[in-house]
Amino acid sequence: MSAVGHEVKQSEHSTTRSYVIGFILSLIFTFIPYKLVVNKTVTGTALLISILVFALLQMFVQITFFLHLGRGPKPRWNLYFFYSTVGIILIVVGGSIMITNNLHYNMMPSDQTKKLLNDENIYQIGGGRTGVCQAQHENHRVNISDGLVSPLYITAQKCDTLTFINNDEKYLEISFGLHPEHDAYAGENDIIVRSGKSKTITLSESGSFRFHNHLQPETAGYFTVKEP
Amino acid sequence: MVENNKNNLHIDHEAAATDRAMFGFWIYLMTDLLMFAVLFAVYSVLFKSTQGGPGGSELFSLRLALTETLILLTSSFTVGLAMIAARRFNKSQVLFWFGVTFALGVAFLSIELKEFAELIHEGHTLKINAFLSSFFILVGTHGLHITFGLLWMSTTLAYVIKRGLNSQLVRKLAMLSLFWHFLDIVWIFIFTIVYLKAFV
Amino acid sequence: MKEILIGKLSKQALPHEWFTIGGSVAFLALALLIIIVITRKKRWKWLWNDWLTSVDPKKIGIMYFIVGGFMLIRGGLDAIMIWLQQALGASNVPGLTGEAAHGYLSADHFQQIFTAHGNIMVFFVAMAFVFGLINYIVPLQIGARDLASPFMNTLGFWLFVGGVLMVNMFFLLGGEYAATGWLAVAPLSEKAFSPGVGVDYWIWSLQISGIGTTLGAINFIMTILKMRAPGMTLLKMPLFTWGSLCSMLMAVTIFPLLTATLFLLFFDRYLGTHFFTIMGGGNQMMYTNLIWMWGHPEVYVLILPAFGVFSEVVSVFSRKAIASYKSAVLGMIGVSSLALSVWLHHFFTMGASANVNAFFGLMTMLIAIPTSVLVFNWIATMYKGRIRFDTPMLWFLGFVAVFAMGGISGVMLAVPPIDFQLHNSLFLVAHFHSTVIGGVLFGIFCALAYWFPKLTGIKLNERIGRKAFWFWIVGFCMSFIPMYLLGLMGATRRLDHYDSSTGWQPLFILMFIGGLVIATGAVLQLAQILASFIQKKKLYDRTGGDPWDGRSLEWSTASPPQFYNFTSIPIVTSRDAYLQMKLKGLTKPKFEDIHVPKNTAAGIYISIFGFLIGFAFVWEIVWLAVASVIGIIVVFIVRGFDEHSEYTISSHEVQNLEQERTKKDMPLFSKNNNDTDEEMGVWDLTKYLAFFFSDIIRKKLWHKW
Repeated sequence: MSAVGHEVKQSEHSTTRSYVIGFILSLIFTFIPYKLVVNKTVTGTALLISILVFALLQMFVQITFFLHLGRGPKPRWNLYFFYSTVGIILIVVGGSIMITNNLHYNMMPSDQTKKLLNDENIYQIGGGRTGVCQAQHENHRVNISDGLVSPLYITAQKCDTLTFINNDEKYLEISFGLHPEHDAYAGENDIIVRSGKSKTITLSESGSFRFHNHLQPETAGYFTVKEP
Repeated sequence: MVENNKNNLHIDHEAAATDRAMFGFWIYLMTDLLMFAVLFAVYSVLFKSTQGGPGGSELFSLRLALTETLILLTSSFTVGLAMIAARRFNKSQVLFWFGVTFALGVAFLSIELKEFAELIHEGHTLKINAFLSSFFILVGTHGLHITFGLLWMSTTLAYVIKRGLNSQLVRKLAMLSLFWHFLDIVWIFIFTIVYLKAFV
Repeated sequence: MKEILIGKLSKQALPHEWFTIGGSVAFLALALLIIIVITRKKRWKWLWNDWLTSVDPKKIGIMYFIVGGFMLIRGGLDAIMIWLQQALGASNVPGLTGEAAHGYLSADHFQQIFTAHGNIMVFFVAMAFVFGLINYIVPLQIGARDLASPFMNTLGFWLFVGGVLMVNMFFLLGGEYAATGWLAVAPLSEKAFSPGVGVDYWIWSLQISGIGTTLGAINFIMTILKMRAPGMTLLKMPLFTWGSLCSMLMAVTIFPLLTATLFLLFFDRYLGTHFFTIMGGGNQMMYTNLIWMWGHPEVYVLILPAFGVFSEVVSVFSRKAIASYKSAVLGMIGVSSLALSVWLHHFFTMGASANVNAFFGLMTMLIAIPTSVLVFNWIATMYKGRIRFDTPMLWFLGFVAVFAMGGISGVMLAVPPIDFQLHNSLFLVAHFHSTVIGGVLFGIFCALAYWFPKLTGIKLNERIGRKAFWFWIVGFCMSFIPMYLLGLMGATRRLDHYDSSTGWQPLFILMFIGGLVIATGAVLQLAQILASFIQKKKLYDRTGGDPWDGRSLEWSTASPPQFYNFTSIPIVTSRDAYLQMKLKGLTKPKFEDIHVPKNTAAGIYISIFGFLIGFAFVWEIVWLAVASVIGIIVVFIVRGFDEHSEYTISSHEVQNLEQERTKKDMPLFSKNNNDTDEEMGVWDLTKYLAFFFSDIIRKKLWHKW
């Protein structure tokens, strides 16, 4: 004999009242974030956090009023399972976001590195950090054609940039100091500039310097970098 | 006397079995939630990868999303009322409220399918970029769950009509209502993280 | 038209390589042999009713063991092929076959072999044996008659079989398996780089069996949390049950992650999405991230039941309660909790910042703490115990030695700077094999040796068993200690050839010989089982179900237990429940009405459709996929709304059944049964088999003439 006809014991909490309360609260927690976003009352990270908070609030409302979680007899396995699942979801979603961001920051392709450098005012030359520079002021251009450097002398301020433009047939190998001793400039040495292309360096060291084409050392120029 | 004992044993046995079944179904819902977690994680990582194409703020309609949200929320409310009736073995009320829930579910799905159809028609398919891939799969998986829920609902209601409400069917309806509530909760996060966030 | 009907299938898919032809012939021959034997003995009905559609967890457990055993042989053969290739793979040794530049395998084939080896061993051997053990033993230990959902149990098993079928299907159709390593990392596993069906077979074999695993895990958790005997609180449960509970809690957490990730890869390959592709904005590291979120806790899923087994065995064979029950439980819980926070250590070298690497390195090292709590617990249990060195105890001691080696190498690898040198080297391979073989596999062997009398009523042959153990552990050391050295010398994993100037070849040859020693050990284990059945009467367990003087409830039942396990559910008052019952004097058996679930074929039908769905997706046969989905839905509806899935046997019938069983076992209990004979050794067994077969041949020839 099955229990037909017996009223299955209604959980004391499963009343029309609880569903109505849950429904109204959920409506409120739906409209508020909607209005916030549409009217742009708040913006940016604050807005993001607000809408997430309201989502969580609505979830708890529904968990309590629709699902009656945590109101049954002990042991409350359902509740414990729910909380641990929430924790694991935080690990999965949060962990994935943090890790992929971290990997992206450390491993992003070079065409995107330039933006990062500009944003964070980090000037890297040859991969090495040479110290923080203020935003660049001026770009100086040096033309090299037929083995001649023009202009021969350049005066610049610290944190300006210097662009080598190769109008020769052959590629250049720009080295600093005298040939063959070579000094490095700000960590940079043996800069290859292909024919028809150019390369830019940041003048982050002050002083007077000489550069030359390692493959044809008579091709040489000078630049002086002044402190701001 | 012995008959009574046997009956009690049977009822206890059934009550224990129902308790176990609901608990097992709850654990299954947790695993489903974890699958959605992966889809949310993937969306959160890939939603910026539009490859120069339009992002969420250009493609989504907040109004439409709000409509869908309200429909689903109401259906979650009506399924709750349906379960109150079910536990009272009130067959006509059960059929009515589950019927309303079913209709709301169908309405939700049609709006969602229309949204998808429009996007695809305009050329924003899931093959274009990672953002669209993760959008379609996340929202589409939720829609697939809703579809299964509707199938489950219609089959169970058919049996209710045929056999009348008994405790076995009430148990099935209870699991279905859990499933339905759970889908609304997942939708809250889709509404927030996919639609609202696109306009932040 | 042809495409709509059979998708991408074509004549090309039929076997035409030496290994696909060989594999197909072997499988078909085996299948044919089984079919012929069953037909001749007219056992089809018995097979279907008593075994295949059974929902009895004891039967399902044994079926898991049988399938897992076959897959162990298959995975082991893969291993030997790998060892042989590496032994022959020095650059100064010319290739032995046309397509192999070095050794005897082509590079692509070698890659498929190590991929298959990894998948089979983890999913279809280790998980199979773990699930088989939990199925059989846990209900007996907690005083339950069955699992919470018998239907989900059979469904989970048959889905697992579907996965086994899928992973072996490529022999018959397709000719290639994934050549991507056992986790098929993107983008190598994407369509652009693996256009064939191999990766699709990989995806669907794991997907189908993975769903079975999730269902099984839910079932086990429901059972352990809701169906314990009255009086058995959580802290009175046997430690194998605790290990199973922690393991299944982790399994239920992580398998959904695997299911979702496999679906995403499948969508990339099948629908053209861009989750992990190179073009379109995909993020390949996300695949690695997600798959290891599953992959790391998975190994703890495998090891925790083994920890449970060892806890029981060490206690029974030292005749002492476990040194500290509560800290053992805390150790298991500690391992499970920490397991979910360490997964990045599998990709330290992929460019995360030092802080991130340091965090995960730290968490990884922390796991050694709860693990050590368990190990020291076991050693303390042995201290001042009265130790018996039967085979189960030998396996435990072997585990301690090998697993400790693996664990320590793991803690080394947890340090990012060390890992930068050793990542993906043979050191890593030696580490995880030490832990998996030393921990999981030895745990399985220990469990089988310990519980074999419960499953069959026969104690295993000790003489051959001991030999098997020593072959295993000596072979293991011969094979894997050189592997650590090779790793430190710079050898990477998955090498099919190497420069002879490295001087590695002698070590690879040593490893191969070690592999042969292990194989001998495995053969000896089969011999052990055979010898035990041959000397059944001598080795019969005459204690009536308690040959080891056990401590937990499963020893209170008959061997093998009746299908209802207990005549009446015992009432538990303390830990080591059965020991307490024995000390206080056993109560007379009570009899009560028993609800028994009916057998069902629904699990088989659903799994057939599940397999067909996977097959349809591999070969892009749309109509088949749609039809199978409909099929599954129909079976679910029919089964789900079936309200007559149980029947009751009255207490009177139970009494009769018990009396019948006692009568049947009586003869074996009597003392005149040649038990003065010595236990068989290997040579005795060989002689016995030789006489046995020559007898058959002689009779046949005599009969013919």
